Amino acid sequence: MLRRVSDDVTEALRAEQQRFEAALAEVNDADALYELQVQFIGKKGSVSKLRGRMGKLAPEERKAFGMAFNEVKKAIEASLEGKHRAIKTLQREADLGRFEDLTMADTMSPVGSIHPVTRTRRQLSRVFRKLGFDVVDGPHVEHELYNFDKLNIPADHPARDMQDTFFVNGPAGETDSNLVLRTHTSPVQIRTMLGRKPPIRIVAMGTVFRKDDDPTHSPMFHQIEGLCVDEHVTMADLKTTLYRFVGAFFETDLKVRLRPSFFPFVEPGAEFDMECPFCPKDDAGAKLPDCGVCKGSQWVELGGAGMVHPKVLQACDIDPQEHSGWAFGFGIDRMAMLLHEITKLGLLFDGDARFLEQFPC
Amino acid sequence: MLISRQWIESLMSPAGGETMSDEAFGDAVTSLGLEVEGVTRFGDDLRTVVVAEVRGIEPHPNADKLRLVDVFDGERTIKVVCGAPNVPESGGKIAFARLGSVLPGGFEIGAREIRGVHSEGMICAEEELGIGPDGDGIMVLPSDWQPGTPLPEAVPGIADTIFELGITPNRPDALGHVGVAADLAVKLGRSLQPPDASLADVPAAEGLVSLEAPQRCGRYIGRTFEGAQVGDSPLWMRVRLHRLGLRPINNVVDVTNYVLMLWGQPLHAFDRAKLSEGRVVVRLAADGEPMTTLDGAELKLAASDLVIADAQRPQALAGVMGGQDSGVEAGATTLLLETAWFEPGFVRASARRHGLNTDSSYRFERGVDFGARLQGACATAEQLLCTLAGARVTGGVEVGGQVPPTPTITLREARVLALLGMAIPRAEIHRVLTGLEISLEPAGEAAWRCIPPTHRPDLTCEEDLIEELLRHYGLDRLPSTPSLPSEPPGMRVDPGQRAADATARLEDAVLDAMRAENLQEVLAFAFTDPADLEPFGVPADRTVKVTNPLRMQTSVMRTHMMPGLLRAGSVNVARHARAVRLCEVGRIYDWPEASQTFDGATAEVDALLPRERRRAAFFLCAGSREAAAYSGSSAATIAASVLSRLGARAAIRPARPAASWLHPGVQARVEVDGVAVGEVGEVHPDLMAQFDFPEGVRGYYGELWLESLRADHVARHQALPRFPSTSRDLSLEIPIRTPASAVTDALARAEAKAEHAQDGPRLAQGDTAGGAIEIVEDYRGAGVPEGHRALLLRLHYRAPGRSVTDDEVQALHGAVVQAAVAALCADVPSIRVR
Ligand SMILES: [Zn+2]
Repeated sequence: MLRRVSDDVTEALRAEQQRFEAALAEVNDADALYELQVQFIGKKGSVSKLRGRMGKLAPEERKAFGMAFNEVKKAIEASLEGKHRAIKTLQREADLGRFEDLTMADTMSPVGSIHPVTRTRRQLSRVFRKLGFDVVDGPHVEHELYNFDKLNIPADHPARDMQDTFFVNGPAGETDSNLVLRTHTSPVQIRTMLGRKPPIRIVAMGTVFRKDDDPTHSPMFHQIEGLCVDEHVTMADLKTTLYRFVGAFFETDLKVRLRPSFFPFVEPGAEFDMECPFCPKDDAGAKLPDCGVCKGSQWVELGGAGMVHPKVLQACDIDPQEHSGWAFGFGIDRMAMLLHEITKLGLLFDGDARFLEQFPC
Repeated sequence: MLISRQWIESLMSPAGGETMSDEAFGDAVTSLGLEVEGVTRFGDDLRTVVVAEVRGIEPHPNADKLRLVDVFDGERTIKVVCGAPNVPESGGKIAFARLGSVLPGGFEIGAREIRGVHSEGMICAEEELGIGPDGDGIMVLPSDWQPGTPLPEAVPGIADTIFELGITPNRPDALGHVGVAADLAVKLGRSLQPPDASLADVPAAEGLVSLEAPQRCGRYIGRTFEGAQVGDSPLWMRVRLHRLGLRPINNVVDVTNYVLMLWGQPLHAFDRAKLSEGRVVVRLAADGEPMTTLDGAELKLAASDLVIADAQRPQALAGVMGGQDSGVEAGATTLLLETAWFEPGFVRASARRHGLNTDSSYRFERGVDFGARLQGACATAEQLLCTLAGARVTGGVEVGGQVPPTPTITLREARVLALLGMAIPRAEIHRVLTGLEISLEPAGEAAWRCIPPTHRPDLTCEEDLIEELLRHYGLDRLPSTPSLPSEPPGMRVDPGQRAADATARLEDAVLDAMRAENLQEVLAFAFTDPADLEPFGVPADRTVKVTNPLRMQTSVMRTHMMPGLLRAGSVNVARHARAVRLCEVGRIYDWPEASQTFDGATAEVDALLPRERRRAAFFLCAGSREAAAYSGSSAATIAASVLSRLGARAAIRPARPAASWLHPGVQARVEVDGVAVGEVGEVHPDLMAQFDFPEGVRGYYGELWLESLRADHVARHQALPRFPSTSRDLSLEIPIRTPASAVTDALARAEAKAEHAQDGPRLAQGDTAGGAIEIVEDYRGAGVPEGHRALLLRLHYRAPGRSVTDDEVQALHGAVVQAAVAALCADVPSIRVR
């Protein structure tokens, strides 16, 4: 009996299938699998080539061969697909088997920080803007006219001794230049009143200088000063504004107390205290007496305040019979120290990274 | 100033105020604006120290310097061992601490064996009881005192509460007990009980006082005394002065100090025998005239110093300090007592000129009374000199010069309400003002014409009187009634405020951006050491100098931010081994070369001030020689990141001219849109050494000039590219020191100048993260000539509205490269395409 051509081709087909199965068993990654696919059923693959021999078959054999070919090809494709899934599964498992010790991650690299004094300045600025104040600043080197004279602190008056002043030489080195490092933010009041017409509601914040250097005084420090000039502005209004400020700043209801005092640029003048927001409390919320800030007195001294002296208004061309005003001021550094429980003033200025990094947020 | 509670009480009626606690008393004083800064209670533990009588003295059997004293303490006779040389004879009185007494300092008196003799109790000296200075020997008491009387009863000032008051410069009247008592009496609803202020009737002493400078001395009372015996003051006086922090000297000087503390009026007593011709002349000094003060200082007087001279030479610097020659010492018998008012401003000028700050000048420069209190002080002193020093008043004279005018002030009830936001009852207004010795008479409806007393020079206007009312009526009574601003905040548009707000926002934004770069903000002093600024090239005559610095290290305003950061960096490196990443936003100061122009209401003053510019600066340092975590590029990257957070695209370009404070090979200028806005680089190694960094440790620095930057960048949306970009690579061989930016800039310029089809490809940001021109590789080594490097650049092209063809990209790229290389080679011929 004659072997038919179709038998030979079909045999070759089966042989290729077996070769494929054997090779497939060795494959265990996606790249090799793709190679295998190309090798057998790619355009020029060994199985695909056999299909080209179909043309040499007798027409009656073609159908049977065609069926056999498709059967083999499908089987190969199914195997490839199965293998592909198996490889994916293995890869996924291998990937999930990885381990990384995150507890060793670097959590200590330096973190940026904002100085506590700047932080406090920003907080003050936010609160006062909310209360309707503009925030302004002025030059650090000032003329005595603005730092003293127009603030009702005449040259030969002992009130000038209340502030130890750094004087500044003039451009030609002259020592009688009448220039100073501003001893307070009050010259900004003068600048504002000269430059604007009432109603005026500003806070001036910034760096000030006094010739003083000991554990509780720095020759450079920071102040904030508020000024309101309008019609019908009263001392009661001042007290109320301070009360609102303190409440908004500490986000709790705190009483404010005024005590008479003297600042040449206000009359009447007062010092203002706030109810201590730092007192430790017992479980029922009652204040305990052992408070390191107010020493049990329940009050914390904040700063000075008063009604703008008529001479100051006049010096700025504002008629004290038409307009009245109040002003207040206090130290920002001390406020920052209270807020952040900083115990030594010197820490604010020597720039130790171990101090600074404590204020990252 | 120290005040005695007991003394104050004795000056007020009705008596009996002692029932008030010290705390309540202190609160009342503070509520008047006389702030209590300290309270000390004295003498309560001295009730077991009693007056005792010496009944007999015998030598100690075992010690030459000790004696056995029989002491009668009112109840029994006790044997006490005593080492003092001045134990009085039998019948004399001494202060005796009974067994069990606890003396100041916690020293408890027990029964003791002293050199084999039993001793119970102690005979005391002033210092041991804390009522006087260290002296020689025990206290000898007047012999008519009753044995057994507790010492605090015999000497009232022993048990007392002393308040330390902070007196503000506007209140000279409160620099004496009478003034404090007068103010407090009104607060407490009591009345002042002032000491007798009448002067003895004596013959006029013609020629005793010549007033040659009436404009400087408003009033001068001279009183002469004879027969004075200079000696110790009685115990009560010594105790009182000691409690008030003054050292007893002799009865005459003590009287002047006592009157100073009582009336707040400085007095001066001259030994009249030592005054040439026994008279004084109140005159201006001759320029350069010499004088020796009581404490031995040699003064060279100025022509504007007022002196009290005798017929020949100055004997006192008026209102400041007496002279050595005429001071009252033991043996003086004739006295001239001066009670005067000197012009405050000139006393202050003299005191400052000669560096003398005395109790006397302190009061005169604030303004003492020239009226009733001045005379009261003279009267009290006169009475005490007679009773304590046995002196006789023999004559007196008063001369007057120019005193300040007494103001008449109209006080309107409506103004009280308008200023305080609170009405004060009319009766209360009346009570307070009259209580404060302000005379008032009606001036129309609800208004008064007021004349303040001469001891209140601070009361000059209506507001001053309103403050008096408020102090006494109580600041606690101010209601909580805010007056609303007449315009809602935020509705006003002040151009100055807009600029101020923009500056503040810029500073905030830059600082936040630097924090995001993990930099830590420091605050450095605005003044520094001139030596620190030398490397920064601002000539000394343009620096802003402090006239009176605390020390050299704070004597000049900084002209650069770097020294402050280096100082802080150096401190950190010395203290710990961490990386240092610091930043600061601050100002630098100088006198500009050209005068600046200003406008606005403050222009005239502003033109006199130095220039202040704002800088944001940062400093990086790995902290040790081994760690090399940072490079100059780290600083450049931080500067660019900070700028990008302001919406600005930084270009890092070669520094021209080079900054001498940065490493000559590691520095660059930071530009935005072709304008320099800062500098970055490695800190010059010489500077690192100058600031004490360890050898080999490198620092990196950057700063941005805030005047050149803008806050509030509003980003504008640009359409996203719809077609892919195409790139071409270019390898260029360039000298190592030719900056890459020269190449990229040349390429960009060439592309800008090249011919472009309307919708054709342009050099543009590609689909990768880099810019239009990326530097892919910076190769040095085999195949590149010595001193050169090969830059591999990738140029991205894209047309906005369509896909581009390879041919048109190739044409553009070829033209760009050719033009750029030609331009580069004009400067650096060794540049070539590889
Ligand atoms: Zn507290």
